[in-house]
Parts: sequence; structure tokens; C-alpha cells
Amino acid sequence: MERHGIAMNEKDIKLEDAFERLNHIMEELEKPDISLENSFNLYQEGMKLIKVCNTSIDKVEKELIILNEKGDINEL
Amino acid sequence: MNQAYTVTQINQYIKNIFIRDQILNRVYIKGEVSNCKYHTSGHIYFTLKDAAGQLACVMFAGQRRGLTFRLEEGQSVIVLGSINVYERDGKYQLYASSIQLDGLGRLYEQYERLKKALEMEGLFDKSHKKLIPQYPTKIGIVTASTGAAIQDILNIAKRRNPYVQLILYPAQVQGIGAAQSIAKGIMALDKLNLDTIIVGRGGGSIEDLWAFNEELVARTIFNCNTPIISAVGHETDVTIADFVADLRAPTPSAAAELAVNDYRTFLTTISDYQRQLNKIMIQKITYSRGLVREYKLRLDYSSPSYQIQQKRQRLIDTEQKLHYLMERSLKLKKHQLQLIITKLEGLSPLKKLSRGYAMVIGEDGKPVQSAKNISVDEVITLSLLDGEVKARVEEISEIERGYK
Repeated sequence: MERHGIAMNEKDIKLEDAFERLNHIMEELEKPDISLENSFNLYQEGMKLIKVCNTSIDKVEKELIILNEKGDINEL
Repeated sequence: MNQAYTVTQINQYIKNIFIRDQILNRVYIKGEVSNCKYHTSGHIYFTLKDAAGQLACVMFAGQRRGLTFRLEEGQSVIVLGSINVYERDGKYQLYASSIQLDGLGRLYEQYERLKKALEMEGLFDKSHKKLIPQYPTKIGIVTASTGAAIQDILNIAKRRNPYVQLILYPAQVQGIGAAQSIAKGIMALDKLNLDTIIVGRGGGSIEDLWAFNEELVARTIFNCNTPIISAVGHETDVTIADFVADLRAPTPSAAAELAVNDYRTFLTTISDYQRQLNKIMIQKITYSRGLVREYKLRLDYSSPSYQIQQKRQRLIDTEQKLHYLMERSLKLKKHQLQLIITKLEGLSPLKKLSRGYAMVIGEDGKPVQSAKNISVDEVITLSLLDGEVKARVEEISEIERGYK
């Protein structure tokens, strides 16, 4: 059940996809026959992905939410 | 000869033993029902058996209150009654006052039946199992709001990643209504578009965990759109919910570890990627720079200006060499000349002349080499170093000097 594609949008980034893409980028970069131009492009994409991954997690500690019987969030 | 008792006497004797026995007056006996007969009189006759033996039983019509279901062949039951001797037949029987189904046996039976049925329907198939998201942001929990299970889950989740939002539906996890409560919780959380749901409870008896063997819970788990991790009881407790769930955890703590990724590991992974990327790029750039240097060098070597410079240099070198060789040759010849000069000087008659020697030249103009070649009164010329003297020969005497 797919929810997101590999979006560069910070809020929508799916980390699994991002890491998969990063792996792919590494593989490509390690190939000996890749041009320098393409290397730069992939490198930039990689760094951008890393930045988005970093910011995708809002470093806000979350409090436990408890639902009531009806399944709604209790207004504390 | 000992006294011989009658059959009646001995039967009575045995009966009394039974009557006086505490245990046999009121005892619970469990076994499997066989040969069950419902008599028209209302009495029920049956046999209780187990692997190694059997016991005749009867429940009289007057005791029928103690039986709330239809007694059937093969049932596991627990019978409360007294064991007494029926003298007429010389047998003993269990006189039942109440009969219950053996709970545990019945439960296991139910469990097996439902498990088989659902398995056949395909509810346990691997193909239906969803992947548990590796990097969730929101996780739902269906469990009791108090107890070790929720505490363990909260502690471990917080420790691994405090940035994940946890949402708890406090459910009743045992007793009447538990299955409904659990199902309700799953459905409520499913609506919230979460990444994963953990459903479970702490350890307990099979009766305590029974709600997780109910068909309602199983089907709710199956129909849920969110991936579910089941965590019921201890490692050795396996419930039907565990089979239907997308992933089974042996304990609630394990469920939290499976559901929540470690934030620190995530950070490490990212910084590793960063480091790798940079390393690869630097390698590539360094290599390319090396190539550029090499090409530049080769270009320089093949450039016309370089060629001219080379040739010019060669010219200069050659000129110098020529010069040098010339000089050397000259020096050599000068030296040789000097040698000859010296030699010549050594041989030079003029030198001889300077030492007081004169060259004697006869009238015929030729040098006089022997006293024999000259005569008296001949006019000879004496060639001195700085002049010539004409002289007349007065006297000639030959001397043997030993020189030839």
C-alpha cells in the first residue's frame, strides 16, 4: 500500500525510499566509468537527500496520546 | 478353617469402607465421557475413562440440576460426586451430583478448531502480511492502560526514539467484552493513518489471553489497513492473533523494539552516507586532477614552442660541444707542436753552435765531416751562431776518437 513517492518535500519524505535512493546513488558513483559531470549531479542529489532526511524528523519529544472509548483523542 | 463370609456380608463390608472414606464421599473426577445413555427415567448412565482405566457413573434424575448441557461421547468433563458400592451388582460407581465441561480441554479444542478454519481461509498467509515500516512517525498501541505491558512499550519506545508519536487505545484485555474492546481499539487506531499498531498484553493463563484467540479479534486484525505487530503474553504463548498479525513479537518489549527504530542508528546511517559521498567525490576529483596534470604534461611536451625550445637547447649544446672539441683538438695539436719544437730544438745544429761549436763548410759549399775530406791551404768557412768566418787550413792531423 504505497503512500508516498520519493518526494524531496521535507514533510513527505519517506525515509525508506530516501535510503534506497542513497544506496543506489552510492552504487552508481562507485562505478569506474561514470563521468565527472554525472558524479557531481549524483553527489548533489545525495547531499540534498541527506539534508532532507535530517530535517524530516522534527526533534520534538512526543507525549503519549490516550484515546477515549469512542476512539477520539482526549482533550486534556 | 477361617470363617467364610457371605457375599452380602462382604459387599456390605466393602460398602462401609467406602462410606467411611472421606475422599470418596465427595470427590472431583475428570475424564472422558463414553457410553453415554440418557434413560427415559431421567437418569443418565455413562462411563468416565482415561488412558488406563474407566469408571462407571450415574447421574440420577434428582441430580440433573448439576448438568447444564447435553452430555456427549468424547467430552472432557469434571464430575463432582461420591463413589459408592452398588451391592446388588458388586460394583462401585460414581454417583454424580454435578458435571462440568473440563475448561482447559474445551478451550484448546476451540483454539485448534478456529486456528484450522482461519488458516484454511487464508488469514495466516504470508502474502497478506504487510511490511512493518522502518522509520515510523506515529505508532498506535492497543493494550491495557495499566500494567507491565504498556510500561515496557513506553519505556523502550522512548529510549529508542522519543520523536515518534505514540497513541494508546486503553483496552480491556481479558474477561467478558475483552475481544470487543480490543477490536474496537484496532479499528479506532486504523482510522488515524498510523505507521504501525502494536496489539498485545502481558503474560497470563490461557483463559486470561483468551480474547486474543477470538474470531472477532482475528478478523479485525486481518481487515486492518495498518500493519500490526502482535505481542501477547510471553515467548511461549502463541495466540491466533499472533498468526494473523503482520509480525509477531514474543513480548511487548520486543514489539516496541521491532516497531520503533533507533534514532541514534538513524543518525549514524546518515552521517555514514555523508562521509561516503564525500570520500567518493574527493577520490574522483583527485583522480581527475591527476589526469588533467598528466594530459597537460603530455600537451606541453608536444607543443611547437616546446619543440623549438628543445631544438634550440640542442643547438646550444651542440655548439658548446663543438667548441669544446675544437679547443681540445687545438690544445692537443699545440701540445704536439711544442713537443716537436722541443725535439727540433734539441736536434738543432744552431744549439750546438751556441755551445762553441762551428759548422765547417768546405770550398765546395758542403759541410766537412771528416779530416780526410779536407786539404791544407783549402779555404773553409766556419759557420758560427752569429756569423761566418773564412779560414785557411794550416795543418791536418787525424785522431782516432773511437766514434763511428
